[in-house]
Amino acid sequence: MTDAKLLEVKNLKVHFGIGTGGLFGKAVGAIKAVDDISFEIGRGETLGLVGESGSGKTTVGRAILRALSPTAGEVLFHTNGGVTDVTQLSGKALFRFRKHMQLIFQDPYSSLNPRMTVRDIIAEPLECQNFGSRAEIDERVREIAAKCKLNVEHLRRFPHAFSGGQRQRICIARALAASPEFIVCDESVSALDVSIQAEVLNLLMDLQQELGLTYLFIAHDLSVVAQISTRVAVMYVGRLVEFAPTEKIFFGPKHPYTKALLSAVPIVDPDKEFDPMRLEGEIPNPANVPSGCRFHTRCPFAQDRCRSETPAWREIDDDHFVACHFAEDLAAPH
Amino acid sequence: MDAIAQADSGLDQDLVLDVRNLQISFRTDEGLITPVDGVSFQVRKGTTLGIVGESGSGKSVSTKALMKLLPKTSSIGAESQLWFRKKDGSMIDIAPVPPDSAEIRHIRGGEMGMIFQEPMASFSPVWTVGNQMMESIRLHRNAGKAEARDIAVDMLDRVGISNPALRVDQYPHEMSGGMRQRCMIALALSTNPNLLIADEPTTALDVTIQAQILELMAELQNALHMSIIFITHDMGVIAHIADDVAVMYLGRIVEYGPTAEVIHNPRHPYTRGLLAALPSLDELKRRLTPVGGDIPGPMERPRGCPFHPRCAEFKPGVCNAAIPRYTPTAGGGAVSCFLYDDGGAGS
Repeated sequence: MTDAKLLEVKNLKVHFGIGTGGLFGKAVGAIKAVDDISFEIGRGETLGLVGESGSGKTTVGRAILRALSPTAGEVLFHTNGGVTDVTQLSGKALFRFRKHMQLIFQDPYSSLNPRMTVRDIIAEPLECQNFGSRAEIDERVREIAAKCKLNVEHLRRFPHAFSGGQRQRICIARALAASPEFIVCDESVSALDVSIQAEVLNLLMDLQQELGLTYLFIAHDLSVVAQISTRVAVMYVGRLVEFAPTEKIFFGPKHPYTKALLSAVPIVDPDKEFDPMRLEGEIPNPANVPSGCRFHTRCPFAQDRCRSETPAWREIDDDHFVACHFAEDLAAPH
Repeated sequence: MDAIAQADSGLDQDLVLDVRNLQISFRTDEGLITPVDGVSFQVRKGTTLGIVGESGSGKSVSTKALMKLLPKTSSIGAESQLWFRKKDGSMIDIAPVPPDSAEIRHIRGGEMGMIFQEPMASFSPVWTVGNQMMESIRLHRNAGKAEARDIAVDMLDRVGISNPALRVDQYPHEMSGGMRQRCMIALALSTNPNLLIADEPTTALDVTIQAQILELMAELQNALHMSIIFITHDMGVIAHIADDVAVMYLGRIVEYGPTAEVIHNPRHPYTRGLLAALPSLDELKRRLTPVGGDIPGPMERPRGCPFHPRCAEFKPGVCNAAIPRYTPTAGGGAVSCFLYDDGGAGS
């Protein structure tokens, strides 16, 4: 556990209404994309957030950044010696606060404006935050581009002249330009080829060391999360099922879903038997979540209690949280 | 010609596919590009060949050529031969067959099945899954309407779709991604093809669903004795599904061999780099070893060995002068690299 926390998420809920359509359409239900989750991120750490499609991991990232407004809950940001609840900010105050947090997207092709030069792309957040004169901005752009291992001679080029890995470095430079403390990386290396992905991961780790950044690293690829994360949170259909330091998640998972996810990753060794834990069926629809534990429809160990009673979010071991009635019984190696 | 293709394959009853010296070019506004240049590989009966490579390696284009699904701006080299064994046992060279001939329409779908990455885009949204399956079954198996429907329901059942008699009348949008990919497999296999080409079939799926699909494909391969070409960028998937693996880089196979041999004793610097760059679940918080440089664009293909600008073992005047020949390896594979080729320029 890191001593100083940067971010506290308390009982965060993001629900999207499903209407009957039309001007006077009534709300007939809600997609509970994020349903009552709480966690903390320490200053300078990387929290890996993993889960399958539809688990709500992207929505968590967006709610923290206020790219969308949460239905309920608090997002407390410890900065400048004070605490700010991001969910309560609006208008100018929110706009000013945005310099503390940034986002790096998945696809470096669609997230860069093809009609802006690299210099203008990296300078845009600085101009928004009234960083200074044009010369000061130019100086800062060159500095940050060099940090992100971009060739400063190429700043007047347009994005199309760059490869996927270089484009992602441009995205990183843009995110870092206004000196944020907190960055959400939403599948930021998923679209890159393996040989390029390693380089971008290393760059992210170096920049974190150098600038003291805090990352929320959202990914579906567990082996990538294993390299970059200090702690890992596992999400399933809008809820956290497990949260622990990286070693505990990967070497001693307690929740059956975490175990199933880990066993389903094909290991690059043909001699090791590939024996994924069998999960029946598919991820439930977040508009119609199962009763009790949300995982019971696919869990091989489900009991009657799992179908009726929602498991509590409890600390099973030092800094190891899990939501499963039978976590202790299942802790024996699978 | 390459060492691999020089094997006396025309007589080998065990081969389902023998690709020799495949070259594919495209006419573009900027000039002629050759994304596949001198590729040779073989697929034996009942086995799986994994083709692994990154973007621009030519892995998808190579297999599209087998089904003649390339756009009109493309051409296949005059020396390329694509020998394919049909279900009746005869071998045919697909390379000179026109893409709109009756011959190729019989092979495409009937003798050779294909699954693509995006299961949503592979089905027409305006017809039911059953309707699309029956179209293929009636065409290739000479079945009547009722019989085709029975075959479709039976195939859906085999790929693990629950309640197949109901699902057969559903539209693709009514199903999840994993279910659609199962339907795609059912569609491709409903004509009993000799060879199944799977182009990144699990890349768009979640890992738990991917595990289900990989298991299903292995089961069906055992039951139907078909051969599979499995294209992927994921070495982990290759390790578990492929008997042999071909590593492609910029339109060339740089290394080829039995999967265990290639993964445990990688010889080509690119294969070694690719394996070293992979994050693993056994070692946490490790600094990864990237392969330096970027993948060159199609217009800027390096001369000589395509990997030389990124290679740590680059020998000036050698690697950038000629393409290395294939040197047979102890494990039964071959590698195209001057570290193992003791002289002489390759073809």
